[in-house]
Amino acid sequence: MSARRPLPRGGELLPTLRVVDPVFVPPLHAVLVELSRLWRAGQLAHHTALSAGRALGGFAAAVALGTPLGFLLAGPWPRLRRALLPLLDLAAQLNPVVLFHVVMLFLGIGEAAKVFIIAWLCTATIATSALAGVAALDPQLLRIGRAFALGPGRLFLRVVLPAAAPALFTGLRLAAGQACVMLVGAEMMGASSGLGWFVVQSQESYHAPRIFAGAVVITALALLADAVLKRVEGGLVTWTPSVDERWALLGHAGRARTDAPADRVIGAAGSAPAPRGPERQEDAPPVRALEVANVRRR
Amino acid sequence: MSLRSIDPAQPDAAVKIAVRGISHAYRLRKPREGKREFLALDSLNFEVGDGEFVAVVGPSGCGKSTLLDILSGLATPSRGEIHIDGHAVTGPTLDRGIVLQGYALFPWRTTRQNVEFGLEAKGVPRSERRAISDRFTRLVGLTGFEDRLPHELSGGMKQRVALARALAYDPGVLLMDEPFAAVDAQTREVLQDELLRIWSETRKTVILVTHSIEEAIYLADRVVVLSANPGRVRDIVAVDLPRPRTPALRTGDRFVRLRHRIWELLQNDDAAPPSLVTEDAVAAR
Amino acid sequence: MSLAATAAGPVAPPPRAARWAEASLPWTGVAAAALLWELSARLRHSPFFPPLTAALGTVARMIRDGSLPSHVAVSAFRGLSGFAVAITLGVPAGLWLGHRAPRLHAAAEPLLRVASQVNPFALMSVFLLVFGGGEVVKVMAVGWVALWPILFCTVSGAAAVDPQLVKAARSLAASPAAVTWRVVLPAAAPAVFAGLRLATGLVFFVLVAAEMLGATRGVGWLVHSSAMNYQVAGIFAGALAVVGLGLGLQRAVRAAEDRLFPRQAADADATAVRILDLRDVRPRAALAAALVALAVAGAGWAETRRVLAHDRAVMTDPAAAPAEPSPGAGPR
Repeated sequence: MSARRPLPRGGELLPTLRVVDPVFVPPLHAVLVELSRLWRAGQLAHHTALSAGRALGGFAAAVALGTPLGFLLAGPWPRLRRALLPLLDLAAQLNPVVLFHVVMLFLGIGEAAKVFIIAWLCTATIATSALAGVAALDPQLLRIGRAFALGPGRLFLRVVLPAAAPALFTGLRLAAGQACVMLVGAEMMGASSGLGWFVVQSQESYHAPRIFAGAVVITALALLADAVLKRVEGGLVTWTPSVDERWALLGHAGRARTDAPADRVIGAAGSAPAPRGPERQEDAPPVRALEVANVRRR
Repeated sequence: MSLRSIDPAQPDAAVKIAVRGISHAYRLRKPREGKREFLALDSLNFEVGDGEFVAVVGPSGCGKSTLLDILSGLATPSRGEIHIDGHAVTGPTLDRGIVLQGYALFPWRTTRQNVEFGLEAKGVPRSERRAISDRFTRLVGLTGFEDRLPHELSGGMKQRVALARALAYDPGVLLMDEPFAAVDAQTREVLQDELLRIWSETRKTVILVTHSIEEAIYLADRVVVLSANPGRVRDIVAVDLPRPRTPALRTGDRFVRLRHRIWELLQNDDAAPPSLVTEDAVAAR
Repeated sequence: MSLAATAAGPVAPPPRAARWAEASLPWTGVAAAALLWELSARLRHSPFFPPLTAALGTVARMIRDGSLPSHVAVSAFRGLSGFAVAITLGVPAGLWLGHRAPRLHAAAEPLLRVASQVNPFALMSVFLLVFGGGEVVKVMAVGWVALWPILFCTVSGAAAVDPQLVKAARSLAASPAAVTWRVVLPAAAPAVFAGLRLATGLVFFVLVAAEMLGATRGVGWLVHSSAMNYQVAGIFAGALAVVGLGLGLQRAVRAAEDRLFPRQAADADATAVRILDLRDVRPRAALAAALVALAVAGAGWAETRRVLAHDRAVMTDPAAAPAEPSPGAGPR
């Protein structure tokens, strides 16, 4: 077989063709070389560990705070909800970047400020999705649960919580994405270490391959977080056909619910962990035949 | 036609459920026609014998679902009492099972886990739960589907699971709120026969609420006919068709006559004008 | 006593005081927070922490001398431009991918998902490197962030259009373009608006950060420089402006949505498909709305050009600059 020169891939094409100046957009292999060099030198790994730690800390705090908060607001205390919900909305509206600067005034540029701002942002998202999950609860399920003479505690644990779980997980994945974005932003604006700081440093010294290397690591981190959460979600939430739903769900919170067909389409394009069966009254013929056959066997 | 109590053919049958003077009014958020309340049910009185199958039929808005909520203990009536086995109903208990129109299966639980729900609530030890749930799954004809999730089941199958769930923990009374309204016509008839088979094997006392006169006659021993606005017992019609019921009966002479009679009762509802009770009127009583 | 009363308490309407208390309940949380701020700032005197009233005074002053409106105009221009870019790219692409090229979409979807995860700040560093500073970078950053929710939601909406509708249109011999414009777009409109709503939340989040990282004007820069100089009042002014801008955009999108979709019953049937009927859009109202948007953007653009020219002049000849009040100066 003759040795053919491999066609340059996309990441190589632009700089190679001089569409973009290779000083500014280095070809892919240069980025990867730089990336592996930095990683082995330990520098990049160090920053990655720091960044990951901050994001994780903030996210964990948000889960611990936001989940009970959301369920509390969704509970049978309408007065409490009417008093506190506007506050939650306001907190969610506040631009986190602006808030970060205020926080920096008080907490400096140490770890606390970043963890705090990530926790703030994610708590609002998680609480809102927990609330939305409970609000979208099928009232018939509650009726049945009560008919089984379940007390309020058991009703919550056995009916409300599992029913709201899909929405909650959607919120968790959304919050994880927000945590990653906010982390980098915060590190760019007020830090002396971490991936965001690294990228800004490289940018100020015009070291293009490093910027891209940093961007690649940041993106990889975000993808990893999402993949992990998706796995956890797939393991715990096995009953909805459309699990990959975060855009549609959050977009429709507070308005009309999303049309059912959209769920199925997105579910088809994404990954549905549970095998899907007939979902409507007009059953697939094989299943109905099976059902009738079951009866005949009697 | 007078209100009849227990089936005169079995005067010694124990009274399982006694409905006494049940009235229920909803407070309106916006007063309609100057009234602040809507009277859904007005002085219902009837009794159900042990092991009897009673259907409640009536037009929309006659308070059928409200009645079922009251019977199951999910709602407290404005007036009146319900006694089951001699005890007054004050709240939901595990002596009753309920099957709803929309199945209301827990989507995160498999068939087996749904059926076991009542057993868990009752505190049955884990070792026995599986055997019992398997038995009831077999009873409703869903062997082999124990590990399916609700979204993988058809409408008819979901309703069977709901039925198994309501029966598994051995309640004395089964309450059904238009259980077959959400399935197609053919599945409906199949399920009706299934229900009769299951009922004859388990001999529960059943109160089934429905829109369909045919369904009421086909399934029940007696049919309570409600009028609407407010819901009142118009009459209780005894169904003297032989058991076991077969589909051939649906076209028989007696069936058609019963159907016509009930239909007429539902049409000729000009006896009492619709009433929204005002505070003064009630105070005057 | 009424029948309901015997079961559930008196039916007489609550006294006026109680009703007033009920109505004001939502505000108690916010009022409490405001009160806490004011009191704690007055009790613990600190230059970092002016009381609420002082901060409000600074805001008023900045509005009067025109500096705050200037920053707002500049930021509004950048934000609206980025948003417009995202819509212009995202909606047609989404319609095409969702309706006309579903297989391509299925193949490209993982790549798109990865692309949407690329951190906008990291990307902005790249942009800054490639394009240098300038308005383009910020507009592109905003456009990038806003593009993804719009694209994904449009794709899902377009893909979910009832095939019966498309069949009906084709049976009337409609061309593919007509089908897309007259059937798919109106049917997908609710999903498109869901994407727009998500995007509005992101626009000013990213813009503020972008302005902090490489700009000399705009509300983000205002907050950043005030923070650097420990002038809380300036931060507060900037924060209020950001909230105002964000709310303004959200309200605009919501108003557009409300006008385009006839108001449905409060307990809207979730299974009802809402379809945009372009004939319902009143031409004059739509024109007016478009003009308003253009006016705001135009004013922002004009202001941007003015201040950038001013800054350039100052850099080349500091003496020529007319004195401008610094953002955070004032009562501390």
